[in-house]
Amino acid sequence: MKAFIKFFTSIRLAIVLLIILAFASLLGTLIPQQRGLEEYAARYGQLSGLLIRLQLTRLYHSIWYLAILGLFALNIVVCTLTRLSPKWQKAVKPHVQVEAKSLLALKIKDRYKKNAPLSAVKAELEKSLAASRYRLRSAGQDSKVHLLARKKILGIFGSDVVHLGLLIILAGGIVSGLTSIRKELALKEGETLSVPKASFELRLDKFTTEYYPDGSVKAWKSAVTVIENANPVLAKTIVVNKPLTYRGYSFYQTSYGWNWDNPAVEIWSKKKNDPSFLKKLKLKVGEQVPLDDKDQTSIFVARFIPDFVLGEGNEPQTRSLQPNNPAAFVEGFRGGEKIFSGWIFANFPDMDRIHAAKETDLSFELKSFEAGQYSVLEAAKDPGANLIWIGCVLTMLGLTLAFYWPHWEIKAVLEESQGKTEAIVGGIAAKNRDSFQAEFEKIMASARRTQ
Amino acid sequence: MNESTLFVITFILYILSAFYYLGFLFSKKPNSAKTGSALAVAGLIIHTAALIVRTVESGHAPFTNMYESLSFLSWASVLAYVIIDKKFKIPKIGPYIMLIVIGLVALASSPLMPKEATPLVPALQSYWLWLHVSVTLLGEAFFAVAFITSIMYLAAREADKKEKWDSVSYRCVAVGFPLFTLGGLVFGMVWAYKAWGTYWSWDPKEVWSLITWIVFALYLHTRIVMGWKGKRSAVIAIIGFLAALFTYFGVNYLLAGLHSYA
Repeated sequence: MKAFIKFFTSIRLAIVLLIILAFASLLGTLIPQQRGLEEYAARYGQLSGLLIRLQLTRLYHSIWYLAILGLFALNIVVCTLTRLSPKWQKAVKPHVQVEAKSLLALKIKDRYKKNAPLSAVKAELEKSLAASRYRLRSAGQDSKVHLLARKKILGIFGSDVVHLGLLIILAGGIVSGLTSIRKELALKEGETLSVPKASFELRLDKFTTEYYPDGSVKAWKSAVTVIENANPVLAKTIVVNKPLTYRGYSFYQTSYGWNWDNPAVEIWSKKKNDPSFLKKLKLKVGEQVPLDDKDQTSIFVARFIPDFVLGEGNEPQTRSLQPNNPAAFVEGFRGGEKIFSGWIFANFPDMDRIHAAKETDLSFELKSFEAGQYSVLEAAKDPGANLIWIGCVLTMLGLTLAFYWPHWEIKAVLEESQGKTEAIVGGIAAKNRDSFQAEFEKIMASARRTQ
Repeated sequence: MNESTLFVITFILYILSAFYYLGFLFSKKPNSAKTGSALAVAGLIIHTAALIVRTVESGHAPFTNMYESLSFLSWASVLAYVIIDKKFKIPKIGPYIMLIVIGLVALASSPLMPKEATPLVPALQSYWLWLHVSVTLLGEAFFAVAFITSIMYLAAREADKKEKWDSVSYRCVAVGFPLFTLGGLVFGMVWAYKAWGTYWSWDPKEVWSLITWIVFALYLHTRIVMGWKGKRSAVIAIIGFLAALFTYFGVNYLLAGLHSYA
C-alpha cells in the first residue's frame, strides 16, 4: 500500500501517464472520430461494435481517456506540492551556514587569502556580489562568517507555474465541456432567430459573398443586428476571423447555403426556323409568362434543381445544395393545352430534352438563376475559454522562468585568524552554467583585486 | 529581382555551403567550415529577401501553402543553425543541417508543389496566421537542430564530444519547446477560438501537436527530474522531432482534418 502511494505521487507515474496519453491520442487520429454507425460498419465490419463499446469512436470524450487526464491532473498536483514546500523553504528561509568542505566539493569554486581583517574582506566580496545584482544574507560570529548570495530566485518556481497553468487549462476544458453552448443558426436575409438560452435575438440583415478575380471566395459577410426586448441594440458585420461578441456569446461565420425555395430564372427562347426571334424571359419557379403573343403560347417553370442528377428509377433529384448543375423543368402551353415539356440545363445549353406533344420549333436556354443565400452563424458561449487563456499565460510565464530566469547562488565561508582572512567561495547554477562560471570568475577577480 | 530568381540563388548558396561543410568534414580544415558558414549566412540573407518579396507580391504571410511553408521552414532551420553555431561553435553539424535544408528546398521546388501565390481563403485572413505559423515553424527548426545533434551524440565515440552534443541538444530543446508551446499550442488555440469559436477540436493536426509536445515534456522530465542524459535523452529528442515532422507533413497527406491548408 505504501509502495502504491509512493508510485502514485511519483514522477514515474507522470512519465507513464504521459506515454499512455501520447499513444491514446495517437490512436484517436487513426480511427475517424464521431462518425455515423454506417461508416464504422463499412470500414471495420464486425470490429465496429467493439470499437464503439470501447468508446474508441469518441476517444477524446471517452470515460477512460478522461480518467487518464484526471489521474494526470491529480499526479501534477501531488508532484508539484511535494516539491513546492522545500523550494519555498529555500526561497524564504535559506540555509546560510554551509561548511567550507561542501563548498570545496562544488565544480565552480574559488579560495583566496588576504592580509586584512574579516570585515574588510567581507565588505569587498559583498560589494562585488552586489555589483552583479546578487541579494545577500549572512550569518556567523566575529571570526567566521557565512555568506549567501542569490539572484533570480523566482526561476526555481518556473516548473510550478507551468504546472499550475496546465491545471487551469485542464479545469478550463472541464468547464467548457460542461457549460459551453454551441448552436448553428441558419439565417435567411431578414430572418430573426432567438439565441439559445439568451435574452436576445439575432437578425440577418444582409449576406454577401465577395469573390477574387479568379472566382475563389474572398469573404463571406453577414450584416447582423442584435435585438433585445424588440429593440435593435447593436449592428455589426460578421466575417470569418471577426466574430461578433455580445453578452458572453460569440457569433462566428461558419458556413453558408442557398435558399432554393423560390429561385428566379432567366430563360432565352429561340426559334430554329426564325433566327430573328429571341425572347429573354425572367420568371420565378411556379410562374407562367406569355412567350409569343401571336400564337398565344406561354411558358411555365415547374421545377428548378441546383445540382441535377438522375436517381433511382430515373427520377430527377439534386445531388447537393450547391449550384453545380442547375436545371429547370419548363412547360409550354397554347390555349390551355400543353404543347411541350422538358429539362433545360445551364451548363449544357445544347442538350435538348424538350419533348414536344405538338410540333414546335422553339428551343430554350437556361441563362442564369438567382436564389437567396442563407448564412450559417455559430452561436457559442464558452465560459471555460477565459480559464484557458489564464492557463496559457501562466504556462508561458512558467516556461520563461524555468528556461530563461536561471537561479544562481554563490555561497562563501570567511574565516579570520592572526590578522589574515581566508575566503572559500562556491557557486551553484542549475542552468546556464557557462555564463554563470564567467560571471563567477568576474566577481572573484573583482573581490580579490581590492587589497 | 523576383522571388523565384532569389529562391534559386538561395538554393545555389545552400548547396555551395553544404559542399564546403562536407569538405570540412573530410579535410578537417577550419577555413572550409568558415566558408560554409559564410555561404549559409549569405543564403539566409537572400532567402529572407525572397520571403519579403513573396510577402509583398502576394500581399499575405509567406506560409499559406506547402511550397511557402517548406520555404519558410528551411529558412527557419538555417536561422536556428546559425544561432546555435554562433553560440556553441559546432560546424560539424553544418553539413547535415544544410543537407536537410537542401532537401526541404528541393521538395519546395519540385513540380509536386504548386508555387502560385493564391489569394487567401477567408479562414486564413488573420494576423494570427503570422504569429501561429512563424513561431511554430521556428520552434520546429530548433527541434530539427536538436535532432541532428542527438544523432551526432549517438554516433560520437569520445566522452567529451558526447557530452557536448548532449548539452547542445538540450539547449536546442530549451529554445524550441517554449517556442513550439507558444506558437503551436497557445497561438493555435487563440486563433481557433477567434475563427471557429472553439479553442480545441481534437483535429488530427492539433492532436499530433499535443503528441509532439508530450514527447518533449517527457524529454525534459526524464532529464531534469530523473537525471536521464545521453543516449536515452537523444532517443527521445529524435522521436520528438519525428513527431513534429509528422505533425507538419504527415497529417496533411495521411489524415484528414480542419488544417487542410498547409
